[in-house]
Amino acid sequence: MKNIDYPTEILQSLEDYKIDFREFLPGHGKGAKLLLNFNKISGIEQVDGIILKGREIPNGIIADVLIKKGTKVEEPVHLCFGINKETGIQEIFPRIIAEDNTNVKIQAHCSFPNADGLTHKMFGHFYIGKNCEVTYSETHYHGENSGALVAPVSYIYVGENSVFENNFNLTKGTPGKVKILIDIYALDNSVVRSNVKAYGKNSKDSIRIRDSVFLEGENARSVIKLKAAAKDGGEVLMYGITEGNAPHCNGHVECSEIVLGRGSICRARPFIRATDPTSSVSHEASLGRFPQKWLDELMAKGLSEEEATNILIEAMLQEEEKF
Amino acid sequence: MLLELKEVTIPTLDQKCVIINEVSFGIKEGSIHAIIGPNGSGKSTLAYAIMGLGNYKVLHGKILFDGFDITNLSITERAKLGITLAWQEPARIDGLSVYRYITLGLKDTTKMREKVVEALNIVNLEPEKYINRKIDESLSGGERKRVELAAAIAMEPRLIILDEPDSGLDFIVLEDFMNIFEKIKRLNMTILLITHREDIGMVADYGTLLWRGDHIITDVFPKVMLRYCAKAGLKEFCKRTLFKDGAICFDDEYIDRIFREEGVS
Ligand SMILES: Nc1ncnc2c1ncn2[C@@H]1O[C@H](COP(=O)(O)OP(=O)(O)OP(=O)(O)O)[C@@H](O)[C@H]1O
Ligand SMILES: [Mg+2]
Repeated sequence: MKNIDYPTEILQSLEDYKIDFREFLPGHGKGAKLLLNFNKISGIEQVDGIILKGREIPNGIIADVLIKKGTKVEEPVHLCFGINKETGIQEIFPRIIAEDNTNVKIQAHCSFPNADGLTHKMFGHFYIGKNCEVTYSETHYHGENSGALVAPVSYIYVGENSVFENNFNLTKGTPGKVKILIDIYALDNSVVRSNVKAYGKNSKDSIRIRDSVFLEGENARSVIKLKAAAKDGGEVLMYGITEGNAPHCNGHVECSEIVLGRGSICRARPFIRATDPTSSVSHEASLGRFPQKWLDELMAKGLSEEEATNILIEAMLQEEEKF
Repeated sequence: MLLELKEVTIPTLDQKCVIINEVSFGIKEGSIHAIIGPNGSGKSTLAYAIMGLGNYKVLHGKILFDGFDITNLSITERAKLGITLAWQEPARIDGLSVYRYITLGLKDTTKMREKVVEALNIVNLEPEKYINRKIDESLSGGERKRVELAAAIAMEPRLIILDEPDSGLDFIVLEDFMNIFEKIKRLNMTILLITHREDIGMVADYGTLLWRGDHIITDVFPKVMLRYCAKAGLKEFCKRTLFKDGAICFDDEYIDRIFREEGVS
């Protein structure tokens, strides 16, 4: 499909996440893509080894992404679920299947630039085969008005010897009411990394995220990193859960939270449980405020305390993950 | 005088003891002015108080910048007037790039890239190699300090306070640092330099000696250094190394007199 009419307004917010939005446009960037405009599929582009299918249902779509056995691609698969209306309901049922021995990156963007009371729901299933390397990154933008009601649920199965990385980023704009559940099941020798970042900026923002990894296979390993920031009455509650249920599995949960301004609530908390005596699960958390010295250093460059704080939050949320 | 301290007293945060005791001296515009003194004599405290950090409040006395009383101004206000400080151990902030960090203090936002490149050049960091690096643990201690210096220079301040810019650096880079100070000076910035090293201090035009919170002397740097040696009882060191091979020599008689004044023979 060539030159479709997709509202660039929806894609614009990718720039805030430092992603070139042209990559998402069919006929422009490389890589497979699927674009949804409210409840209509406005573009699908396939590449060798990757099958993308969408079926429209009354309030949304069922989207299938199939990565065929042995497919290794550099260019990410681009998925965009957008709405440029203010209200409405969008429901998405993605099924993402990566067959054995595949390497793929998926970049999904959920963007509702004019949202003022709209609802976006997702119910996703991911099946990742053996010996795969899959990265799923999802960025969100819910506009600057009052945000959206957003409730995605994902079940992710990671097969033997596979590496799965999940990146969820909701740090731009006003999120609104957001409730996210992610359950990841890790099989033998698999590696799971999950990074979740969210920023609540005012009293309209209430974000709850539960990110869980179940280490079900021998020698499975995982790291969850949660970063939460809340200011001016925003509320962000994040729970990073890891269960060690198999021999010699190893999990770690790392949480950082920053809370600023009156009435804000911010919690990023680890919950860990080991049911297998040979498993090891650990956690660490850093809470509170930025060190005064960091603020002083930025203020000595002429920034006000508030500007300095905003720079530090921006830095914390952008910080690249190192494993 | 660009900066003047008038009987400045700084207590500890709990106000139980005095760290800086009625200190008065001035810093001439365009000069390199070193503050020396043993560990704990109050050098950093004085630097922080000039910058206006919350934990170092002036109890009595005044700080004047260009004749203007800044004693009660915030850090931000002082920075906007043209004062900045490069910390002894600057923070590592993982998510910030060198580029972003240096641009934070720029007065106007035109030609940002050129200004960053220029500042990195002054501190001898290759711009292409460093501009996109993060201000994180991957920078060595010396590189981090240079980035700090570059950020301070890019602000084009009138007074730049350097708290032990030499600490943690080896002799090989010493000369390089001396060149950097000279370059900063040529940009018409005044430097307040805190250092433990007499060789670094030698670039200074003037100096101030602090001793347990008291002001001992402010004068041309060699004289200040000589007084420091006298107070510390380092006559042999002084005669042998410091002023014989150094740029400025005092005759032995003069050295003896200064030592006598300090009650050391
Ligand atoms: N908050 C504080 N509470 C109590 N004492 C303090 C406090 N801050 C500084 N001091 C004391 O004040 C004195 C001066 O400290 P300062 O750091 O200014 O010394 P300095 O000359 O910079 O030393 P150095 O050469 O070791 O860097 C020290 O004795 C220090 O212990
Ligand atoms: Mg000090």
